[in-house]
Amino acid sequence: MGYGIDLAFRAPNAMVFENKELARIIFFHLPCAWGSTLFLILAPVFALMYLRSKKRIWDLRAAAAMEIGLLLGVLTLITGMIFSDVEWGAPWNWDPRQTSFLLVVLITAAYFALRAAFSDPEKQASHSAAYVLAAILPELFLIAVFPRMLMSLHPDVVRQGGFDATYWTVIAVVSVSLLLTSGWMFGLRVRAGLLEEALENSNAKLGSRDDPTPSGVVRPVSVPDESR
Amino acid sequence: MPDSWSNEIGAVFRKEIQSELRSKSGLITSGLFGIVSVVAIAFATWTVKLTPTVAAGLFWITLLFSSMISLPRAFTVEEELGTGDLLRLMARPHSVFWGKVLFNLILVAVTAVVLGTLFLVLAQIHVANVGVLIVSLLGSCFALGGGVTLSGALVAQAANRNALSAAIALPLLVPLTAIGVSALRVAFGDPGVAAGIQAAIGLVCYGVVSVAIGPYLFAAVWKT
Repeated sequence: MGYGIDLAFRAPNAMVFENKELARIIFFHLPCAWGSTLFLILAPVFALMYLRSKKRIWDLRAAAAMEIGLLLGVLTLITGMIFSDVEWGAPWNWDPRQTSFLLVVLITAAYFALRAAFSDPEKQASHSAAYVLAAILPELFLIAVFPRMLMSLHPDVVRQGGFDATYWTVIAVVSVSLLLTSGWMFGLRVRAGLLEEALENSNAKLGSRDDPTPSGVVRPVSVPDESR
Repeated sequence: MPDSWSNEIGAVFRKEIQSELRSKSGLITSGLFGIVSVVAIAFATWTVKLTPTVAAGLFWITLLFSSMISLPRAFTVEEELGTGDLLRLMARPHSVFWGKVLFNLILVAVTAVVLGTLFLVLAQIHVANVGVLIVSLLGSCFALGGGVTLSGALVAQAANRNALSAAIALPLLVPLTAIGVSALRVAFGDPGVAAGIQAAIGLVCYGVVSVAIGPYLFAAVWKT
């Protein structure tokens, strides 16, 4: 990632933009958008695997993919707003691509609202998986169709050939490093989810063995009186 | 011998109709909300002539919120009244979903016709293309009926289901607003009949896909 950042600052100014120096934010904005889309496409695959196998690991993978997709989506919006402020004069222009990505982020955020509404792990997993699969249709529409329905301020640098080879090299390096970093985060999140579940199970067992207090109940503890 | 699909779907559909005729809760809630919204829009804009795009946007949002208030009830009411467990024993998930989605399609169609007529009269909107208006309303009913029923099914067993149903349904249905407005504004006088019909067909397709995948997703959550 450090090498990518170093390359980003060494790259020549992009001549197709108003603010040629700030165009470097593209090196992070584009990979974040691609990474977010990738994780939001992976999540339904994991959700489908959960519904077929009912193995908890697939639900944890789907949740981790949605979390990283949301994180990268928010980073895409933030970097886009910084660029938009300088390039188009305002951080938010109701540009179709900007708006559609905001809606994708909102659809992803609603997943966590639904997930938080279930305390039973099995219900939580199956409802979350069903939501992820239901959301894929509007998400694909927002990512692939809606931005092409209306005029957009977004520069179509790929078709216009606005970037030289150096820019594509830097974008490729940052994309690969971002993918590796987010893949590492994804693995960590899944392991953390497994540990959380193991901890809850062991708490439940401890609670049921020799303590009649149900797990999850906060037990009163004695606080030493410092005045004595 | 198990009942045929059509018998099961018919039984769930008749149950929904009878429940609705007894309580009239869904129709009254969505109808009243829609009528008040339309009256409020007409009252707030009586000094100005609404452009086709603004009129289409206001009407579609009214229809969207009316649907979101009434349609998820088909599932949430089963959990609130405690009748969900009996339904789980008596019918297969696909039949339950199809029975309820058929009822919701009729409910949203009645709401759309009543609201549409009121909106056109009170806000003095001129319909330039009746054909596109009918196809747009049909498409909107399909898309809203399919989408909101599915999101209602997803939140029915959640702890805070009433608040959650709007939070889940809105992000999923907001993209439809763009297509719905594209279709309706042509009906209200904007140029581009072919684009309007395309958008209306897009709405129908969205509804058909929601209704087609709905039973499978519903089956995954109904008996957990």
